[in-house]
Amino acid sequence: MTGIPLDEFGIDDLRDYRRFLPATVAHGRPQGREIPALTQGRARLVVTAAIFCVAVLVICARLVDVMVLQEATVTRLPHAASTAYHASRADIVDRNGVLLATSLATASLYADPKLILNVDDAVNKLTRLFPDLDRAELTEKLKSDKRFVWIKRNLTPHQHQQVFRLGLPGLDFEKEERRIFPTGSLLAHVVGLTGVDNHGMVGIESSYDKTLRGGIEPLHLSIDVRLQHIMRTELQASIDEFKALGGAGIIMDVNTGEVLSLLSLPDFDPQNNNDIPPDAMFNRATLGTYELGSVFKIFNSAMALDSGRIHLDDTFDTIHPIQAGRHTIKDYEKMHRWLSLAEIFQYSSNIGSVRIVQQMGIPAQRAFLDKVGLTTPSPIELPEVGAPQVPNPWREVNSWTIAFGHGIAVSPMQLAAAAASTINGGIYHPPTLVQRDPALPVPGHRVISPETSDKMRRLFRLVVTSGTASFAKVPGYVVGGKTGTADKVVGHGYGTKANRTTFVGVFPMNNPRYLVLALIDEPHADASTHGFATAGWIAVPVVGRVIKQMGPLVGIEPVNEDSPEIHQALDINARPRSIAGATP
Amino acid sequence: MRLELGADQSRMSLLEKVWQINWGLVLVLCALTAIGLTALYSAANGRFDPWASRQLIRFGFGVVVMLAVALVDIRIWLRAAYPIYFLALALLVLVDVAGQIGMGAQRWIDLGVIQLQPSEVMKIAIVLALARFFHGASQEDVGRTAFLMIPGAMILTPVALVLKQPDLGTAMMLMAVGGAMLFLAGVQLWKFGVVAALGIGAIPIAWQFLREYQRKRVLTFLNPESDPLGAGYHIMQSKIALGSGGLAGKGFLMGTQSHLNFLPEKQTDFIFTMLAEEFGMVGGVVLLSLYSLLLVYGIIIALGCRNHFGRLLSLGLTTNLFLYVFINIAMVMGLIPVVGVPLPLISYGGTAMLTVLFGFGLVMSVHIHREVRIHRRAMLGDL
Repeated sequence: MTGIPLDEFGIDDLRDYRRFLPATVAHGRPQGREIPALTQGRARLVVTAAIFCVAVLVICARLVDVMVLQEATVTRLPHAASTAYHASRADIVDRNGVLLATSLATASLYADPKLILNVDDAVNKLTRLFPDLDRAELTEKLKSDKRFVWIKRNLTPHQHQQVFRLGLPGLDFEKEERRIFPTGSLLAHVVGLTGVDNHGMVGIESSYDKTLRGGIEPLHLSIDVRLQHIMRTELQASIDEFKALGGAGIIMDVNTGEVLSLLSLPDFDPQNNNDIPPDAMFNRATLGTYELGSVFKIFNSAMALDSGRIHLDDTFDTIHPIQAGRHTIKDYEKMHRWLSLAEIFQYSSNIGSVRIVQQMGIPAQRAFLDKVGLTTPSPIELPEVGAPQVPNPWREVNSWTIAFGHGIAVSPMQLAAAAASTINGGIYHPPTLVQRDPALPVPGHRVISPETSDKMRRLFRLVVTSGTASFAKVPGYVVGGKTGTADKVVGHGYGTKANRTTFVGVFPMNNPRYLVLALIDEPHADASTHGFATAGWIAVPVVGRVIKQMGPLVGIEPVNEDSPEIHQALDINARPRSIAGATP
Repeated sequence: MRLELGADQSRMSLLEKVWQINWGLVLVLCALTAIGLTALYSAANGRFDPWASRQLIRFGFGVVVMLAVALVDIRIWLRAAYPIYFLALALLVLVDVAGQIGMGAQRWIDLGVIQLQPSEVMKIAIVLALARFFHGASQEDVGRTAFLMIPGAMILTPVALVLKQPDLGTAMMLMAVGGAMLFLAGVQLWKFGVVAALGIGAIPIAWQFLREYQRKRVLTFLNPESDPLGAGYHIMQSKIALGSGGLAGKGFLMGTQSHLNFLPEKQTDFIFTMLAEEFGMVGGVVLLSLYSLLLVYGIIIALGCRNHFGRLLSLGLTTNLFLYVFINIAMVMGLIPVVGVPLPLISYGGTAMLTVLFGFGLVMSVHIHREVRIHRRAMLGDL
């Protein structure tokens, strides 16, 4: 080491890492200009390494900052610049803020015939622009003595500009608004439609016409378009498959009375509302009142159980048919033995239901149906509400048929609200299409005790687990319900081929949240239903498919339906007590 | 004298040289590439094609090149430094004349077999040339301002050519590598100060010459939220992805930002984001540690080298790697504006990988020939 001259190689010759120790330690005899050069070379290297270190540390710190410490910043999308436009009619939105109806500013074309210079020229030019205008009619209009004739309403901005370009004197525009329904026919019967002058004519547009006119805040409906879409898809599929006349569907929050989906098929396009057939215009869910059949056993059972006089395990004679005037009340499925109340519900025994109401009496039945709103028009906020057809006078034979849902006609909306009150703990909440303010108490009145409601839940569940509605089983969702198949009145009697199938489903049955109702009008059995056109084959699968899709959407966690907790909450563990307990 | 290496290292046999190869360094490079292949496999939604398979072939080729470069005598590289530099410069001129347009810039030369990016070649060439230049310079020379005109021109000529392509990122990298070389060679600090002051003074003028997209990137960097769907999109999505990765990541092949295509360029410039989303902060730190290990290797090799050329070369190339890594990772985390710099050995792309492996071949050559002494003024006679 010492033998090598330092000046020749500069700092190169300082060996190993001693170079980077303090110069005096590393090198015994530093000489002349080598000292600053050495120190500098060392310092520069150390500085570079230090910069590397700092940079890596900065990156690490940033990594921790971005990945662990920083809250995920919510990206706010830029909004397109727009000047605030206040329509003269407020928007309608669903419960999640999805736009259901809004207003667009448009221009409408009119003419002052007195100012038209050359009618033929004007007619030529206008018909070239609007081929749908009738030449003869337009000529007549422009030659008339009036000072104001409409030519075309609600032009697009492009058409507006094209009319300007014609440069015809005597033409002018009136500023107007056009109602737009972005969801098309999806909510036709709920939102309704407006006429040419933008006045509500059907649905919420009509019933809230005054509020919407001049309102600025959008009207929040209780509807959820996602559920509405599911309901419509499934109902339409069933109607198509079984060549039915139509159908109705309702999804309701049983604890608030809020209607999340309300549907009547066939429906119409509110945008192009010329020539809507009356059948499509007819709201089967609220305006139509029907004999709904066995679903009425819900109310018969609830009334009996709540009276405290009849219990789940009380048995009744269902062997002998009952003669009611010229008619004989029979059961579809004959069990040839006495059945308990639970079994009467499970197998939908008509005879058994009549035996129950015979014990309860007419006033009790009438009072109960009053309480659950089945004898008065539904309070739902639509102009299209049908008045129920109740017997007057209410004789004994009426009470018998009402026990199994005949001789009384109510709307599906009434049925949904009434059925909800029997399983939600016993409170009747008036159904509503407008979102409830969570700060306000939900209106309602008690109709049955919580204990009776608990028994009703078990009955509902029984029908799905081992009764007529097994197609409503949805893995993970505890569904319950009641079916109803009513023969339709054909001429002066009941037809045997034409019927109306209804299913009222509820889930989750152990803690009810939603009621799903499907009604299919005059379905035709096919091979897939083995020739049956009963509710169990037609309406029940619709509700099953709807629940399967809506369960995850509304955030209900799937459970194991066979878990002990579910069985404990919903099984009918009572055995028939004694035959003597009831008198036929 | 050192006995374990033999007195005259210039006469080492090939086998001795192979024995001297820094296999630990090769291992770290392999580990990084393995992470890169994993990322590319994930970027293709769990398939080797189209990226991981080709990248593996390139790495195989690159490793062979690297080892070959490492075994070549350091004095041959010294002699070849200027020719390589001028060749790279010629290629840069050529790319301006006959290059292919890729992503709106002229950066590639199609050689038939491979597509060459001369600006990448220049990153190595400029280190070689400057190391060569300062090897022959005395301390007094380095102190003279006039003497520094030559290295200044050596740096600024390629920078100007690359800027013309236009490729702001690479130009700045060349500038930084050149600056680092000058700094390590011992140029007085006040000169850097003067250049920096001039640079800052030139910003308003340079702004005029920046392309619209470059200005937008700088403005977006200053406020990424100003245009989240336009120029700020990359960085916003990248930060969302990093944030969603969290401490432990979402798991291999589970990154939503990258697999649902929110993250742009996930197989190239933004691959770090994808890795960090799937393997979390832990994965990011592991990757950074491996790179740091490479830097430590580079510095230690420089420290252990007995000739000025080798030391400058090793430090220059290490700085080059550092700039790649730092610029890329700082960019995806929003620390610096978005510039198109790949993450070496991880990002998909042949040129950057070859550049880095070639560079580490040179570093290893420095290591193998660390005991070789090269006379400052009579270098050519030494062979």
